Amino acid sequence: MIRCFTVNFSILTGLLLSSALVLADDFATKWDEAEAKRIEAAELGYEWRDTEKILKSAKKESEAGNTEKAMALVAQAFEQSKDAIAQSQREKENWASRVPK
Amino acid sequence: MKQLITVLITIGLMGYGFGVVAGPEEDRIAFQKYYTSRFSDTPLDDFINGIYSIDAPSREQWEEIEEFPPYEIDIEEGQVLYETPFANGNSYATCLEDGTLKARHQYPYYDTQRQEVLTLELALNECRQSNDEEPLKYGKGAIAQLSAYMALQSRGEPINVVVPDEPGALAAYENGKEFYFSKRGQLNFSCFDCHGSSAGMNVRADRLSPALGHPSHFPVYRSKWGGMGTLHRRFKGCNEQVRAKGFKPQSVVYRNLEYFLTYMSNGLAFNGPGARK
Repeated sequence: MIRCFTVNFSILTGLLLSSALVLADDFATKWDEAEAKRIEAAELGYEWRDTEKILKSAKKESEAGNTEKAMALVAQAFEQSKDAIAQSQREKENWASRVPK
Repeated sequence: MKQLITVLITIGLMGYGFGVVAGPEEDRIAFQKYYTSRFSDTPLDDFINGIYSIDAPSREQWEEIEEFPPYEIDIEEGQVLYETPFANGNSYATCLEDGTLKARHQYPYYDTQRQEVLTLELALNECRQSNDEEPLKYGKGAIAQLSAYMALQSRGEPINVVVPDEPGALAAYENGKEFYFSKRGQLNFSCFDCHGSSAGMNVRADRLSPALGHPSHFPVYRSKWGGMGTLHRRFKGCNEQVRAKGFKPQSVVYRNLEYFLTYMSNGLAFNGPGARK
């Protein structure tokens, strides 16, 4: 009985640890993707004010074990940079229409 | 085919003639007309007073403030900084053309040899570095005090920015122009959205100032800052207010922006330093 419990406990711990590692890996990948997007927006001169701060907060949350919150922040930063890049493309087309004639 | 080419060239030339491809001077005329039409009670030369040129109640308060201007101490500090020789015995005057202190109105300009826009603050720091002094931090503090002292000497001088007829100068001007009219940041605002189409309207408790004349009165003492700041500090602040990441003061982007914006105020007078809320 005790042996059976020990085996089950080990399996459970193993599963939990491996899922935590998968999440951490997933976070690192997503964070890198969001950071690359931020740099892309910055190179276009269109980075938004808070994107870098959001990514820093995401790292802190991840280090504190709040993976769910960390992932949400990374997703927010990624979306911001995507929108910033779209904004730069839109403005290339539209800025001249605002010049007084 | 020959006929078609002739027609296309003619259409192109007509487009140029009717301002489809506008040069700096056409831009300036249209820009100034935009403001003088919108604020027809304000004489052209009064736009150098920013929001106070279109907001009578604020103007009264500002005129009272100007009786004992909050930037007076900074001017005095700027004078001390200007007159204190560098360790090698040289001074700022050594670097300035003809050694004249009255140099504020000569900036910004496009340096055809260096192929870039030079501003007063950049020139002051380059002067320091060429004399083995550490550069000052841009934005506020000593650089703004020096700039304030020099701006005072140039009060009343006409703004007369020149865009030389060469590709580099025109590219710098166009770059500043594109920046000015492009929406950026999470709030999706261009400089012109606030200081053009919304000039005179309220943002919370503050009225938005017209862009015409903006560069004339910098550096300014801003109550919000509790001290002096340069034009590029204000550019960065504006960008961040619309939640865009600001650029570094004296970056190429902001120097080009200063070049374009100052050109738009050609014909008005420098009246810095100024005091603002």
